[in-house]
Amino acid sequence: MTTTLERNATAQIPKGGGLARRQNFGTAVVAGVVFAYLFWLIAHLTLDSTGRPFGDQVATFTGLGWLIGFWIGIGAFNGPFRWLLGRDHSHADDMYYAGQNMGKARYWKFTTDHKVVGVQYIVVTMVLFGVGGILAMAIRTNLIAPGNHFVNQQVYNSFIAIHGMVMILAMIVAVAGPWGNFVMPIMIGARDMAFPRLNALSLWTLVAAIGLLVTTLAVGGLPVGWVVMDPISNQAGIGMDFFALTIIAFTVSTTVAGVNTITTMMTMRTKGMTLERMPIFTWGVFMAAALGLYAFPYFLVAESFQILDRTSFTSFFVSTGGGTGWLQANLFWLMGHPEVYVILLPAVGALFEIAAVMSRKPVFSYRTAVGSMAGLAGLSALVWAHHMFTSGWAPTLGGPFMLTTEIISIPTGLFFLVLIGTLWRGHIWMKLPTIWLFGFMANFIIAGITGIYLSDIPLDDQLHGTMFVTAHFHYVFVGSVLFGAIAALAFWYPKVTGRYLNEYLGRISFWFVFVGVQVTFLAMFVSGLRGMPRRYASYSIIFEHTNFASTIGAYTIMIGMIILGVALVTSWNKGEPSGPNPWQANSLEWMVPTPPPLENFEVQPVITEDPYNFDKEMVRR
Amino acid sequence: MSDQDNKKPLKLFFWLWAIITVAGVAVSLWAPGYLMPRSMSNNMHLTILTMVVFSVAAAPVAAGVYAASIYMLRTWSYRGDDVPPPAPVIRENNKVVASWLLASTVLTVFLLIWGLGALAVDNSSTGKNPLVVDVTGQQWVWSFSYPGTHVESNQLYLPENREVEFRVTSDDVTHGFWIVNMGVQVDANPGTITTIHTTPNRLGEFTVRCEQFCGLNHSFMDTEGFVVSTQNFNSWLAAQPQRS
Amino acid sequence: MSIETTEPPAAGPHGEDGGHFLEPEVVDRGQRLGVWLFIGGDIIIVSALLFTYLYLRGVNTSGHWMSMLGYQGHSYAYYQNAANLPAPTLIHVKAMSAGFDWLITAVTVVTAGIIWQGERALRVTKNAKAFSSAAAFATIVTLVAIVLTVIQLRAIPEIFVATNDSQGMAYTAYDSAFMALVGSGLIHLVVLAFLGLGLTVRASRGLITGEKWYQARLIRMFWVWIAISSVVVAAVTTTINTIH
Repeated sequence: MTTTLERNATAQIPKGGGLARRQNFGTAVVAGVVFAYLFWLIAHLTLDSTGRPFGDQVATFTGLGWLIGFWIGIGAFNGPFRWLLGRDHSHADDMYYAGQNMGKARYWKFTTDHKVVGVQYIVVTMVLFGVGGILAMAIRTNLIAPGNHFVNQQVYNSFIAIHGMVMILAMIVAVAGPWGNFVMPIMIGARDMAFPRLNALSLWTLVAAIGLLVTTLAVGGLPVGWVVMDPISNQAGIGMDFFALTIIAFTVSTTVAGVNTITTMMTMRTKGMTLERMPIFTWGVFMAAALGLYAFPYFLVAESFQILDRTSFTSFFVSTGGGTGWLQANLFWLMGHPEVYVILLPAVGALFEIAAVMSRKPVFSYRTAVGSMAGLAGLSALVWAHHMFTSGWAPTLGGPFMLTTEIISIPTGLFFLVLIGTLWRGHIWMKLPTIWLFGFMANFIIAGITGIYLSDIPLDDQLHGTMFVTAHFHYVFVGSVLFGAIAALAFWYPKVTGRYLNEYLGRISFWFVFVGVQVTFLAMFVSGLRGMPRRYASYSIIFEHTNFASTIGAYTIMIGMIILGVALVTSWNKGEPSGPNPWQANSLEWMVPTPPPLENFEVQPVITEDPYNFDKEMVRR
Repeated sequence: MSDQDNKKPLKLFFWLWAIITVAGVAVSLWAPGYLMPRSMSNNMHLTILTMVVFSVAAAPVAAGVYAASIYMLRTWSYRGDDVPPPAPVIRENNKVVASWLLASTVLTVFLLIWGLGALAVDNSSTGKNPLVVDVTGQQWVWSFSYPGTHVESNQLYLPENREVEFRVTSDDVTHGFWIVNMGVQVDANPGTITTIHTTPNRLGEFTVRCEQFCGLNHSFMDTEGFVVSTQNFNSWLAAQPQRS
Repeated sequence: MSIETTEPPAAGPHGEDGGHFLEPEVVDRGQRLGVWLFIGGDIIIVSALLFTYLYLRGVNTSGHWMSMLGYQGHSYAYYQNAANLPAPTLIHVKAMSAGFDWLITAVTVVTAGIIWQGERALRVTKNAKAFSSAAAFATIVTLVAIVLTVIQLRAIPEIFVATNDSQGMAYTAYDSAFMALVGSGLIHLVVLAFLGLGLTVRASRGLITGEKWYQARLIRMFWVWIAISSVVVAAVTTTINTIH
């Protein structure tokens, strides 16, 4: 106890102190723009302006300038250079960068405290969902009736790609970003992540990547689909270069985050926090981090090749030079399928946690829960070619990939066993998180079953490339992951703010989103079955009714999400106070005050059992 | 004891499960044939059949999840602002886990066997004098030529009951050659030829669409085709302008 | 979960624990795992590049793994207009010099050896000054490797190609894949130079000593991996470099 007081005493409030301490989001943007302009200038002065790739070369330079400038401006390079010069941070420096006594300003800076990063991720996720959602509405508006009538085809094609990519980014960070950072370290009894500066780097690199993605939209878009297959991507303008840089920055962000998460969980657990006693959510984050670390480098390589092909006349994906688009497809899906589980696993982990706490029962068969997540993560590395069944690439491998893909349904089925087994015979407390949990189960079974159809090659030969696929993965992402993410948000919101997410608005929002998802995507399944391909800007009269229904459903989802957004914002300062442990849970994040103090624990906790013994005397509420 | 265990009669659950299963099976039997395009080849027949079989197999599984959800909501939900009392501690039940694993494995193996069998049928070729059609995609039209005849067309004419071998390639970007009514699909890759087989078995009009995003007018890259009798096919060939 | 006892006071601040008073062992364990994970990610990248190299060779699209239709010996300025061009000829490229490839690899391996020896000596003799010199030497040799790598990158032959919508210097698939491998080697070497410089400075400032050597070990781990990857890449590119 006395140690604690001394710690706070040694960490004095730093005063003044150089440029490095004045850096924030504003300086980052300014530096990013200045460097982008400098790089643009250098490119114009040094490169041969007559060749076709000149525009791409300038764009790539400019994008790199933005990225480097942003990193410099936010202060990402300060640490490495101080290391290089042998001028390590003092304790006061560390506390300053952790945002001690800084107030709200710390949310705009390269702050290392994991809780600040968690909140920053909440905001980033909301911004991404907002942008992606607006694009989704534009797409659905365009498809409300046959004939292209809302935006022109080129813009429409861009919207599809940007909607896809923005939403993928949003989904990847939706649970693992906010809660993997905010609550995971507290759950395992750590004072922070293992590498606090890398944590901030991961967040701000994502922000810089979003800047590049927005630029993509501004400089002519990306009219080639979010999977940017070659050779079609060669026909995109300079938006494609910014897109590729977005991905490169994003892979840096996820790799850094993955390393950090795994290391934190493996080395920073408090005394007695054995692997079997970790709250189940942390396992979801762990599996996702490990899988991300495996998968995203492929995307980095694929997008680097695209930049090289576009700026340097290499022939990785150019058939006249001996390259092939199948290489891009392989690299892309080597990343692309594991990525789906990077998205899914944290949400599933959060739902296991929520199911246990809200039903006042332990997680049913903890080992099965961890094993199924591990099985899913492992198998997902072996199934990528099922996205290429109809590409003509290696038809003889169809059977084996069908096998690995369908085996995935076994661990996926175990998710349902764990969820139902946990809720079964429980006292299921029907609060907001629980409601979204039930929504998840209803949707995820549809997502799973339609996935099996698509894994079967004779069926895929008909359904591939159709709206059926679109509907399937929207049931995965919107119907399942988004529901899980909102459940997690409702569950841990009181820990961040000390207030409940407005229960009433949350329930209204649930019904809008739930009904909207069914209408939109069930109708979309029918469009697909009837033969409507994906990414159509305009369609024949035979798809009229189902598309109309999908559009109306999409608007319904939008209304629900706006209501949720209102609830989120208004509850932040004005919601009903919740106390530190509103759900009467036993895991460590509920044992600390709300909001958790810097360094989380006054006294380092020692763990003697897992957090699911709800029959014990409850701690303070 | 039963109160502490929080066990409740399961009758409702089984009723729900049975009803939803029956409804699901009914939909599964009806929907694929009704919703999917008119079948005009052996492959499409297989596709629709597989859709029916998988849906019927999936119906009890989905019904289980729905029935369990509704049953739990009705039986065990706890409304109110105060935290519910502790529930029975059930950490493991090896019998349940084992039976669940067994059931899902059996289902998966069944799907696999069906799928691999169907795949073998789907890919099989009679090898008897197939009609070869060269398919070329370019932004944003399909062209079909019949080797040995100098005929090139933007419409696809096929004779009935004769195997067709499509040799598919592209002049520019990757396109997706998809005969909507025949359940065959393969990408048209530049610099490479990919092959698929099918045997049209019904007369009539069908649709060819591009299912791989290919740029600005992707939405309009479709064309119609016709399955005609062998005699009509030969006279159509003869009537086409000869491309030198 | 319950809080039973308090822990004994942790270690004092030492600059590398984010200010959280972690025990040096915890920090060391975390940093070692972190470096291993980064190496793991890097292994994926290098594997993807090798996969690219072997895959493009295996596919050999249109027979153009090591050849391309183009114009040798002319620069872009020579042909301003694609319409004026004669028919392109098939130009074959040669495999890159195996000897030079192995030279760079050897230099890289030498730098790793220097660091490794330096680190061992540091742990045994506790001589930080000697380690600083070793790191400086390794850094300089790394700079040599960087120069050699740049020379090799510039030696990759270009072919002038022109089509209706694009013209410029181009690389065959072989050259592209080779360039990617060499380029990634270059990036790795630049990182090593940075790390080597840091080791030099830090050892001379007394931040790496006979007692505090674990950062030297972390960097040695990464350095050795780079050397190994360099050997693997050289082995693949010098033994498998003919037309498939």
